[in-house]
Amino acid sequence: MNHLIAAPLLLPPLVGAVMIISMRHHIELARVFSVASIVALLGISAGLLVESGTGQIQSYLLGNWPAPFGIVLILDRLSALMVTLTAFLALPVVLYAIGTDWDRRGKHFHALLQFQLMGLFGAFLTGDIFNLFVFFEILLIASYGLMIHGAGKRRLQAGVQYVVYNLLGSTLFLFALGAIYGATGTLNMADLSVRVADMPQSDTALIRVAAVLLLLVFAVKAALMPLHFWLPATYEEAPAPVAALFAVMTKVGAYAILRVFTLIFGPSAAVTEGLVGPWLIIAAMVTLALGMTGVLGARSLGRIAAFSAIGSMGTLLIAVGLFTPQATTAALYYLIHSTLAGAALFLIVDQVRARREGIADHLVPGPPMAMNGLVAALFFAVAIGMAGMPPFSGFVGKLLVLTSAREHELVWLIWTVILTTSLMAVVGFARAGSLVFWKTTEGSAATLQSPPQNLALTSIGALVALVVLLTVSAGPVTQFLGATAAQIHDPAAYHEAVLQDHGGQPR
Amino acid sequence: MWYTPVLYCSARRKDILLPLILIVLLPFLGALLPGLMNKAGRNSSAWSAATITGAAFVGLLVHAPFVFAGGVIEWRMDWLPLIGMNFNLFLDGLGFLFASLILGMGLLIILYARFYLGREDPMGQFYTYLLLFQGAMVGIVLSDNILILLVFWELTSLSSFLLIGYWNHLPQGRQGARMALAVTGTGGLALVGGMLILGEIAGSYDLSVILQEKDLIQASPLYLPALLLILIGCFTKSAQFPFHFWLPHAMAAPTPVSAYLHSATMVKAGLFLMARLWPVLAGTPEWFYIVATTGLVTMVLGALIALFKDDLKALLAFSTVSHLGLITMLLGFGSPFAAVAAVFHIINHATFKAALFMVAGIIDHEAHTRDIKRLGGLMRLMPLTFLLATLGSLSMAGVPLLNGFLSKEMMLEEAARTPWLEWPWLVPALATAGSALSAAYSFRFIAHVFMGPQRHDYPAIPHDPPFGLWAAPAFLVALVIVIGIVPAAAAGGVVALAAGAVTGGSLPYYGLKIWHGFTPALYLSGIAMIGGLLLLATHGALDPIWQRLPRPEAKTIFDAVIRRCVAWSQAFTEVLHNGAMTRYAAVFFLTAGLCGAAAWVSGTSGPAIRRFLPAGFVPATAWLLVAVATAGMVAFHRNRLVALIFMGINGLIVSIAFAYLSAPDLALTQASVEVVTIILLLLALNFLPKETPRESGQARRMRDATLAVLVGLGAGLLTYAIQVTDFSQASISAYHLANSKPGGGGTNVVNVILVDFRGFDTFGEIIVLGIAALVIYALTEAIITGPVGHRLANRPPDTGEAGDVHPLMMVIATRVMMPIVLMVGVFIFLRGHNNPGGGFIAGLIIAIALIMQYMASGFEWAAARQRFPYHAIIAAGIFAALLTGMGSLFAGRPFLTSSYGYFKLPLIEQFELATALAFDVGVFLCVVGAVMLALESLSRLAHRSGERPSPYPMDIDPSREIVTEKA
Amino acid sequence: MEYLFSSAVGMLTAGGVYLVLRLRTFPVILGISLLSYAVNLFLFASGRLALNLPPVWRGQETSYTDPLPQALVLTAIVISFGMTAVVVMLALGSYLTSRNDRIDMAADERTDRDHHTGAKR
Repeated sequence: MNHLIAAPLLLPPLVGAVMIISMRHHIELARVFSVASIVALLGISAGLLVESGTGQIQSYLLGNWPAPFGIVLILDRLSALMVTLTAFLALPVVLYAIGTDWDRRGKHFHALLQFQLMGLFGAFLTGDIFNLFVFFEILLIASYGLMIHGAGKRRLQAGVQYVVYNLLGSTLFLFALGAIYGATGTLNMADLSVRVADMPQSDTALIRVAAVLLLLVFAVKAALMPLHFWLPATYEEAPAPVAALFAVMTKVGAYAILRVFTLIFGPSAAVTEGLVGPWLIIAAMVTLALGMTGVLGARSLGRIAAFSAIGSMGTLLIAVGLFTPQATTAALYYLIHSTLAGAALFLIVDQVRARREGIADHLVPGPPMAMNGLVAALFFAVAIGMAGMPPFSGFVGKLLVLTSAREHELVWLIWTVILTTSLMAVVGFARAGSLVFWKTTEGSAATLQSPPQNLALTSIGALVALVVLLTVSAGPVTQFLGATAAQIHDPAAYHEAVLQDHGGQPR
Repeated sequence: MWYTPVLYCSARRKDILLPLILIVLLPFLGALLPGLMNKAGRNSSAWSAATITGAAFVGLLVHAPFVFAGGVIEWRMDWLPLIGMNFNLFLDGLGFLFASLILGMGLLIILYARFYLGREDPMGQFYTYLLLFQGAMVGIVLSDNILILLVFWELTSLSSFLLIGYWNHLPQGRQGARMALAVTGTGGLALVGGMLILGEIAGSYDLSVILQEKDLIQASPLYLPALLLILIGCFTKSAQFPFHFWLPHAMAAPTPVSAYLHSATMVKAGLFLMARLWPVLAGTPEWFYIVATTGLVTMVLGALIALFKDDLKALLAFSTVSHLGLITMLLGFGSPFAAVAAVFHIINHATFKAALFMVAGIIDHEAHTRDIKRLGGLMRLMPLTFLLATLGSLSMAGVPLLNGFLSKEMMLEEAARTPWLEWPWLVPALATAGSALSAAYSFRFIAHVFMGPQRHDYPAIPHDPPFGLWAAPAFLVALVIVIGIVPAAAAGGVVALAAGAVTGGSLPYYGLKIWHGFTPALYLSGIAMIGGLLLLATHGALDPIWQRLPRPEAKTIFDAVIRRCVAWSQAFTEVLHNGAMTRYAAVFFLTAGLCGAAAWVSGTSGPAIRRFLPAGFVPATAWLLVAVATAGMVAFHRNRLVALIFMGINGLIVSIAFAYLSAPDLALTQASVEVVTIILLLLALNFLPKETPRESGQARRMRDATLAVLVGLGAGLLTYAIQVTDFSQASISAYHLANSKPGGGGTNVVNVILVDFRGFDTFGEIIVLGIAALVIYALTEAIITGPVGHRLANRPPDTGEAGDVHPLMMVIATRVMMPIVLMVGVFIFLRGHNNPGGGFIAGLIIAIALIMQYMASGFEWAAARQRFPYHAIIAAGIFAALLTGMGSLFAGRPFLTSSYGYFKLPLIEQFELATALAFDVGVFLCVVGAVMLALESLSRLAHRSGERPSPYPMDIDPSREIVTEKA
Repeated sequence: MEYLFSSAVGMLTAGGVYLVLRLRTFPVILGISLLSYAVNLFLFASGRLALNLPPVWRGQETSYTDPLPQALVLTAIVISFGMTAVVVMLALGSYLTSRNDRIDMAADERTDRDHHTGAKR
């Protein structure tokens, strides 16, 4: 059995515990360990990615109990991809936090970050639906801590809302799980998939309710309208590096939808047919429209970043909702793109806030900023990415989504919505950019002497570089993603890999 | 399976001197160079830009012989094969013409800009933007793949946004840039749609394929939508009516930009695309009536407006609009001859219009104004400029011996034989009118700027510019003359080549010569000339009338629209996301309820198969209590203490219910958690207001109540639905029961599941507890050290209702109980694996005992006697669990494999529990640590907030009395 | 019995929902606790109800209560306890900093300066 699969879930808590016990008062030491651990995780995730590249789905029997009776971790292309993406995002984020001293502004930043990563990795790797709940809780409670890091009036208020909303989500999750277990008598995803497939057509109501509730739970995470209301305030008020890390939190929801509604309640499942697809697409289109409307009408760059995050989730979920291999490929490509670009956007907004004493990131002209040119250039690049303009991966992703919608009956609507909202995004970003970076009032040199922040700017540059890399290597990337999508849409292989006897216990 | 890029050269061209990709990439790669070289001075910056452009130009020219021989050069590389978005370039006649226009003109602009830009303008930046734009343009004209073409198309929009906004300290610059981006961006997105449809029809995104599919495309039902979307793209880019309005505002850009983008290159991109797709799109009535009509209207309207503009650049801008309209119209005619004329005029317009823009720039540069009303009589002051301006304008007017004349003749000739609906006279008439107007404003450019008396109130005394400024326009004017006099020799080849590429080979008879004999076209242009002179003569009279005419100001409309949209989105967004959590939650519940209900009714529910248990007295009373307690909480929730008590009752009933329904572990856990939670809430309540004010009105409460009842109903029904049915297949827990003892080595199956079968859940659960404690600690730290801390410090201490802070009885009781409780805890812990109990419950019990100490004897006293750092305890717990789990890794077994079964020793009973127990220790530690850290944080707040505990652990202490007596 | 149980779950949920929709943090927290009671009972019931059947393996019983949901509920209880603790402290912190315990946020008056990043320092 391949212990590398469990590594991403063991290293962070270990490091986290070490930090708690011995580095509560040594931020420098914590920084070293934090970065080291993330670098190690990068290596591990790369290893996992290569492993998954063979196309062989591997399962890891925790406690060596045979599936479906124990908990299993599953390494397939999708989980490996998500883990790698998370690790790649984590490094610039932590470097930014260090470079800006964000991590000094409260206790336990790095420990919480480690646990946050553990939660994310667990959510991606687990093959057990209740264990998925547990890891959702881990990543949530860690995110609560990170979100209110540094406290402050509005941040705490937003924090309360964020926590309460997600507690409601967790409650719903438990209802869904109860219904699922009550109907099928199992928790292992592969086993669920098999049992749901064999369910009698005479008794579908309960499992349908369960499926829908589950979808809603994931929709909360994915900020799908009308369950997106927690997002704007949270992302706007969260510390910049945390907001950047949250770029992958919404993707957890998208991942879960993709996983559960292809594997368990997939198109092939008769009992839940007609339950998800079309509704998801329509909701996603509204989400996209809402998001870009927010971008157009925002009063501050922070709002713009938050709402463009919502909008990008809309685009992503349209592709997810199509539930075809090609659309899934598009979805995954756009997922990677929007994670990197979204994160970069939040970090740049933070740079603006840092450089505009008093007016922060409000869309009002201010005195010239320190290093205006560089910050403006970075903003321009990332804005292009988020708005889905060429030459960056946003445009490629959008084209992928558009073309993958061709066979769908709503194709015209989808194309119209996506293209129109892109225009709104373009206008919104252009407006914001020219107000903040071009239109300057008479410069008081006071704000010009903020520190250069090389590390911070470098980490933003790294994210932008990743976006460029994603664009240039679109060919090979989509090839891998195509294989991933094919694997996702072949539940049989998953069953086979998980439920075959691995010769574990009974002992 | 790994990916290999396909990279080959067309069969139509074996040997390749310089891959096309370099011509496209050079400007992009070189774009940063001028920016860097700027440090080394303005000249080196300009030189670097010129070198890059020159290199690309040479790269293009080396292909000339082959292309002129009728060859097509291809270069292909796979980029995104999945959707056929590949880096396919090809160079044919049309591409060659445009590429040489772009690069050649680029060189002249670089030279001109070097001397035009002022000291304070960042020149490196300018050249960087310019090169980016140049690369994008070359990309457009060389693309073989329309998706790649789209990429470059949008890139021109973006880079022109930067160029127009180059002087971003000027509001016109910013607004012009945004307007241009909005309009061309819109067109670009429409174009995306159109191109996707086109590729959909043709089955490929490669032009070389699409261009073969004329019949297929024109027969398709999707032809019209595709055509419309593509044309929107072209019209916005080429400033055709009604999208023309952005171009004049783009004139806020520095003159070199106007000369480059708005005469020779960007605005020609739309024309290029129409010419490129001409073979497959043109020739249908739709094409004719949309394209030709738009062009005609634009031509006349643009010319008319231009005539009455006083700003030189505005005049030129609208004349550009008009000439673009002319070319569009020619393409719209759809006849090969018109196509030739269009191509020829593209060349001619580029030459004289760029020259004129540069001249306007020179005047602005020297006289510090572009306002015709403030100029005049410059002839003697700047003779050279006068010469260039005159030749350029006359060519623009269409005067013989200059190139403008030739293409205009061809235009009129074609117009003369083009009927519109059943009116054969309409097109020629309007075309002539357009030419007349065009002639008029051209003459005006000469007359009102250079002729007339010299004035004494120029903002600056004008004189001819240095060589650097007039060299470029002079060169262009030279071209104007040469082409004008010996057209066939000078331009015949290129025109034939490009036109051939447009029409797809067969060209009609046409002669590029000055004298065609007395043709209708000649008469028409004669009329135009005379009309032009008349208009000029009467301009003084007409101008005031025109100025008084009410006409829509495009900019104000555009701004209003944008402002309206922004304001609307703002209002909409802020009303929707107004921070009202209560509404968010209501939406959440509503959605959950509705979706759940919808899913239920859309499904089928089977028959009730399970028999129900009898409901005895105990359940009935429990039910009643729950009902009362819940109702109580709702009714008295404003009095927070009371509500808390009711909640306690509820929790108690729940744990009793667990016990009654044969779940002793749950009962114990629920009970102990309940206690701790209540304590926590009580301590919190110590700070929070004790009352909740009555805020929500009747209607609101009704709404909430309805929602609550509905959701509650749903939950109840769902519970019921599960009770009546059975598992679709046997539950996996059968396996757990069967293997608990033999496999997990414990008889308390719940506990074995927790620490073994699903130990990983438990591992996650203690992590959650640990994080919770950290979060609480961090938050408390932030509060205490923050500004709030000081406010807390001098917050008046609550005067407790109870008399003494540390009641004697309680103190004694807790102290006596402590050891007992500890023993109970250990006992519960140890029996966990085989009987109800276990680490978690034990942990809570111990924690409660410790809290009792705090509450009874006060924070100081307890903290003083109880020296474990809770952080360490938590960490230790995590370690214990982790290491126990990882122990199995060394045995090659997966994480968390319980050691039971490794040792085949007689003492198996001792060993079998080893790892599970160690794991449970981890749980225990985490629970204790977390709970205590949380409560400690709270008490630190309390401590901070001036609740000074009495110095003594007990208020009544005999020993103390004695001491005081002695004293 | 099942009727009583289901209706009890319903009542608890309804009460919880109503309280969560209140305007101050404290009742909202109480509401969430009620909801967690409800969902714990529900989860527990997903193994179907049983009377006087031990979840303890003695080797001879023929029938047991389903132990799996019990384990799940245990985990759920612990987690929801941790969550409650956090939200209580958070509500407290929010109250202490902003001097009111409203759960709704005022539209957009961002004035607190600590919002800007550490770059200032």
